[in-house]
Amino acid sequence: MSDQSNTPVPEPPDAEAQTRIGVDSWVAESEDRQARKRGFFGPAARGWDASPDPVKLFLFIAVAGTIPFWMNEGDLFVYGLFTVLYATLGLGLNVVVGFAGLLDLGYVAYFGIGAYGYALVSSDHYGIHWPTLASLPAVMVFTGLIGLGLGLTSRRLVGDYFAIVTLFFLQAFLVFTNTANPVIHGIGLTGGSSGIGNLDPLEFFGYSLTSVKQQYYFFLLVLVLATAGLYFANRSRTGRAWRALREDPLAAEVMSIPVNRLKRLAIVMGAALAGLCGAIFAAIQTAVTSSNFTLNVLIFIFAVVILGGIGSIAGPILGAIVINVSFQFLQPQNDHPSIKRWLFYGAIVLFIALMKPWYRAVVVLVGTVAFGLAVHAIVSATAAASWTAGTVTDAGSGSAGKAIADWVVIPNQTLHGGFATYAYIGLVVLVCVVRSVTGWWRTVVLIPTLYMAAVVWENVLAPNPAVTAEILFGVLLIVIMTVRPQGLIGTARVEII
Amino acid sequence: MHPLLFSVVDNIRSLGWGGAFQLLRNGLVLGSLYALIALGYTMIYGILKLLNFAHGDVYMVGAFLGYGILTRLNGPLNLAIGIVPAIALMFAVAMAGSGVLGVAIERFAYRPLRNAPRIAPLITAIGVSFFLENSVQLLTNGFQYTYDPFELGKTGNEELGPLYHTVFSVAGNPVTTVQLLVVGSALFLMTALVLLVSRTRFGKSMRATAYDREAASMMGIDTDRVIAMTFFIASMLAGAAGVMFGLYLGVTYYFMGFLAGLKAFTAAVIGGIGSIPGAMLGGLIIGLVESFAIGYVGGQWSDIVIFGLFILFMLFRPRGLLGSRAIQKV
Amino acid sequence: MLKKIGLVAVLAALISVVVATTAWGSAKAPRAAAAATASVKCGKRVSIGVAYPATGGVAFLGALQFDWAKTALSRWNGSHKLKIKLVQGDTQLTTNAAANLAVAHSFASNGKVLAVTGPAGSQEVQDSAGVYKGAGLAPVSGSATRIFLTRSKPGNTRETAKGFFYRTVPNDGQQGDAVANYIHKNLNKKRIYIIDDEEAYSQGLADQVQQDLKNVGINASRNHVAQNVSDFSSLIAAIPSNTQLVYIPWQQAAEAQTFASQLHANGKNAIVMGSDGIDAPGQFKTPGSYVSGFPVDATNPVYKSFTKAHKGQPEAFGLPTYTSIWANATAIKMACKAGHGKTTRSAVRKDLLKVKLNASQSLLGFPVQFLNKNKSTFQGPGDMGGTADFAIYKISKNGTYTRVK
Repeated sequence: MSDQSNTPVPEPPDAEAQTRIGVDSWVAESEDRQARKRGFFGPAARGWDASPDPVKLFLFIAVAGTIPFWMNEGDLFVYGLFTVLYATLGLGLNVVVGFAGLLDLGYVAYFGIGAYGYALVSSDHYGIHWPTLASLPAVMVFTGLIGLGLGLTSRRLVGDYFAIVTLFFLQAFLVFTNTANPVIHGIGLTGGSSGIGNLDPLEFFGYSLTSVKQQYYFFLLVLVLATAGLYFANRSRTGRAWRALREDPLAAEVMSIPVNRLKRLAIVMGAALAGLCGAIFAAIQTAVTSSNFTLNVLIFIFAVVILGGIGSIAGPILGAIVINVSFQFLQPQNDHPSIKRWLFYGAIVLFIALMKPWYRAVVVLVGTVAFGLAVHAIVSATAAASWTAGTVTDAGSGSAGKAIADWVVIPNQTLHGGFATYAYIGLVVLVCVVRSVTGWWRTVVLIPTLYMAAVVWENVLAPNPAVTAEILFGVLLIVIMTVRPQGLIGTARVEII
Repeated sequence: MHPLLFSVVDNIRSLGWGGAFQLLRNGLVLGSLYALIALGYTMIYGILKLLNFAHGDVYMVGAFLGYGILTRLNGPLNLAIGIVPAIALMFAVAMAGSGVLGVAIERFAYRPLRNAPRIAPLITAIGVSFFLENSVQLLTNGFQYTYDPFELGKTGNEELGPLYHTVFSVAGNPVTTVQLLVVGSALFLMTALVLLVSRTRFGKSMRATAYDREAASMMGIDTDRVIAMTFFIASMLAGAAGVMFGLYLGVTYYFMGFLAGLKAFTAAVIGGIGSIPGAMLGGLIIGLVESFAIGYVGGQWSDIVIFGLFILFMLFRPRGLLGSRAIQKV
Repeated sequence: MLKKIGLVAVLAALISVVVATTAWGSAKAPRAAAAATASVKCGKRVSIGVAYPATGGVAFLGALQFDWAKTALSRWNGSHKLKIKLVQGDTQLTTNAAANLAVAHSFASNGKVLAVTGPAGSQEVQDSAGVYKGAGLAPVSGSATRIFLTRSKPGNTRETAKGFFYRTVPNDGQQGDAVANYIHKNLNKKRIYIIDDEEAYSQGLADQVQQDLKNVGINASRNHVAQNVSDFSSLIAAIPSNTQLVYIPWQQAAEAQTFASQLHANGKNAIVMGSDGIDAPGQFKTPGSYVSGFPVDATNPVYKSFTKAHKGQPEAFGLPTYTSIWANATAIKMACKAGHGKTTRSAVRKDLLKVKLNASQSLLGFPVQFLNKNKSTFQGPGDMGGTADFAIYKISKNGTYTRVK
């Protein structure tokens, strides 16, 4: 091991930026596994790795199945049902992106086509009411065929071009359903911006799935089936061929793997799964409009897959749980303003506590508090009183709110409207500076940065929780990609030369 | 389909030559804007093989910077300085600001991912775009701001400001100052760019880096600096387009970058991504197509027409009009 | 061997899930209904849920509504002993309609929420109607204007349950009627061009006006423009030069201003008429244009102080949200008083029918009392009766709005 030698060989200067050449994937993965087993959750990680895969699935079902017993209906809808929906969508996207390596930016369109397809055959719009056992498979097949159509164009489209075409397909779908809305048989096909309403609920053998609990269990069943199906697909010849295709399409083709057919198969499977999700989603919502399928939803699904780890099966499920639960938690209607505040300050303190030499952490913590008090004192003394007149939004307990107001500069919003903009821009600039410098300079610049973060939080972010959630989303994507592109449980990608 | 075809023919006939000229004029102006943004896309793709989704948002920030300067100078009605220096200042600040933003994005979001699999910088670009749009939404409260170009620099009792004076007319259809300004500045910037790329030493290093980054760095070219400068120039053009949009159409809001970026992107691809004359040609084509589609087919179908055109190009000529055939090496 | 055991375990799990799914009948409904009659103490814990688009494509409209909601809340808490809190819910209209349902479920399961203001969009109201009804809540919307939310017609059933939806804004039928009447009778124009912005609000109004004009023999042309597109030059080219009036029921005043200016700059001198969505004195100010809006009393002190605090923008689109909050708060106060300090959601809901606000309390320029049955051609249970209607304003040379009808 390198830590045993006396004169460690210095790493090449750009070692971090380089890909690891000449190391094959098994070695890379095993090193990763070694690292996990020595960590804090070592025994748990070892147990997890050692257990056979069906047991993992069973554990998941057991945990997920007991949730409706202790969660009320409203929370179950938001935290349970949506998580399962995004997990299933993530699984489907994983097939296209993770297994076949195609960047499909129009995936949400299949979701939408499935939903609209279900709406057309199970509502009063055209008076067609197919039984669920017929409509769900029909919708799946229909969406799969559309995916096939798009896939047939992929022969000439590699990588980036495919991404662009699919993005445009999504835009065209949105315009078609929202605006173009061609009139067929007397009424607009897609209902325009109002969409199609009054859809039939899902019905199996006489039982209607109308309560949240029933819908949750049904969707869970679909998720489990999809997971099992993908697991077997992954271990088959087709799965191995997909992995080859993902790593190097040209080499795979040289090895006589039918690349185009595999791509189309992946697209069709992803599309069919998305179509099924769409149909179930439409039935749950009993209505469908084009605003259900916008770019925001697409980015959400991408974040789910990427955070979980592209290419792994449990990844999207884990990603969906983490992202959906935290996103919904941060939404304004879930009424935890004081908890959010403590989460924010707690996150800052945690960030400071994780700094390597302990004295650096102490310096930053003490420095930030002192800096803030100093700035506040200076501003109170020199500028007009309105500069510190603002109050903390939704102060949980009076003393905490007062303490924060004495530390952070919160001006009167109506008089100093531009302050928010400058503070925000200042924060972004400071973060960039922190990233550019190293060593002790970084510690020094970190102090005003953290203080500025608190200022921006109190003045701008906390009063607008909904937009803040979206901003955090974008930042999350950037941070994951730059820091840990393989996500939480994905495996490290290695470029083989 | 029949009723649609009939209405198209009907529209063509009812608009006549005068209407056709108006659509042509509008298409050229719009096309110049798209061309400027498309140039940015094509330059960045050429040098990094990266689709910079955040480019449309740089354009949006440029428009806001211009608006900020306008307000600093006491708004569209009571300009503190003359209208010409005011516009020049708006351009200067917006271009500089957008350029800096572009360089910062490259430095902090894309540079760490130079050697990562291709999907990573794409996702990061989406993240940056999301971040920029929502940040501006947060700071502006989603409000729409207007440059008020019709009032800008108004003196006395005239109905429209100097920007909207008619310079000349063709068959009763006016061509206004602002339209000439937009087309003129776009042409000027594009010519400057072409000269920069083809005649200067820096342009040569840009072309070398685009062709083969490793070999260029071995030849002593500082590729990091070249890439940063490319981003600066590309974003500068986008910022200029943002100010022009504000002057011509007057509205700025946080979401304007998305659709414009998408269309400019189509333009870059149709013209041949990686090729600078291609981006200009593509921009003009998209502008004209959109204009005529709105006029002849109807507002709601114009986006689908553009999409259809795009798909056709992708199927039958993926390298675009002026793009070069890419050879894949194993 | 292990694999086989594992397989059996998975199959067993699947079967148990299937059984659980089918065995869970609608016996779960009583839980939700229980929320409607759950007793809540009227201390510091009562809340009104505000469902509005805080993010997404129409966040700018949501911001206007929430501004007025905050104003209503601070005025109420400053002048009443019963203090109320607001719980915000982001419905992300036009970006993610599923968020609307999430908000509805959150409010439904939040025991402190006794009343709901919103949702903003007509489709959102319809989508979440079932959830709110099951939870015993009656949302009071300040901007959902679709006629069929309160009124049924042969061939179109009523879209919400009677008694479970109210609105503090006159509906499309009333606004469309007012506009069409004015165009036909007062302005006497015959060549009309209607452009909608492809949103539900706009399309509803445009459809109504077009239908009303057709009923008096005027065939108006119709076109569309995407909401976030600002280049109207080609659209303007398509408008015939002999058009007398262009009706634009849009939601973005700055765009309407740009459109009107461009129209006139291109030598087409049609009159531009807009809806309450562009009723914004600071932004839409083309002289000679018309706008339909609320008959607000501009000397009302609340209105004036709000305008001053918001840089001269009265943000008229959010006015009905103020009224909605006030109506909800009044109903809660009535129910709390009748219940001697404790009340339930269904009591508040029923008390909404007893709420009476005079013109200066409602800020809308007319008194507010909710209907319990159909009235005239367009109003139904849940609409505001009385003199609730839209006024028509004309814009003068210096940009001020003068009421003409």
